Amino acid sequence: MSESPIGLNLGAPVPDFEITTYEPTEKGFGTFSLADQKEKGRWTVLFFYRADFTFV
Amino acid sequence: MGCDIVTISPDTEFVHLAWQASERELADVKYSMGADPTGFLHRMFGVYLEDSGLGARGTFIINPDGVLMNTEVNHHNIGRNIDELMRKFKANIYLSKKTSEACPSKWKDEGDVTLQPGAEMVGKVYEALNQ
Repeated sequence: MSESPIGLNLGAPVPDFEITTYEPTEKGFGTFSLADQKEKGRWTVLFFYRADFTFV
Repeated sequence: MGCDIVTISPDTEFVHLAWQASERELADVKYSMGADPTGFLHRMFGVYLEDSGLGARGTFIINPDGVLMNTEVNHHNIGRNIDELMRKFKANIYLSKKTSEACPSKWKDEGDVTLQPGAEMVGKVYEALNQ
């Protein structure tokens, strides 16, 4: 485990978080929760970008 | 593959809806578009640009135990390449099953040559890669 330039450590647990989402397949709003992902045993890729209406 | 992709920006879910509905490049989007208007998640991952209120281009891979396995943050306007991401993602999944191996720089997918780090390999990486 090593201190990284980001706020979290590689190889360390990410604190549980929950955010509101837009779900294009359902044309509705939803929730994404890291605790749910752990419960379902699924990998997660978080992809941060500048802002909507910009090139990603 | 048991993976979910979530894109995140400091916009609200309402703006995500409007953007996805109007931008033809996004017509086939299937992934969740996460809203972080307060920036709390950006700050947790160290990708909030305090002077502009925008997000830095950061990609993070988290395993099913909730452990942070991979980080990539681009300062400049470098578009991220899906092949680069997929390679790292596949390597993470592979190494979660084969914990004693290492994926060398040219590794692309399961079946490619891997390394077995240990005393025998010291000074013998060339031979291990070219057997």
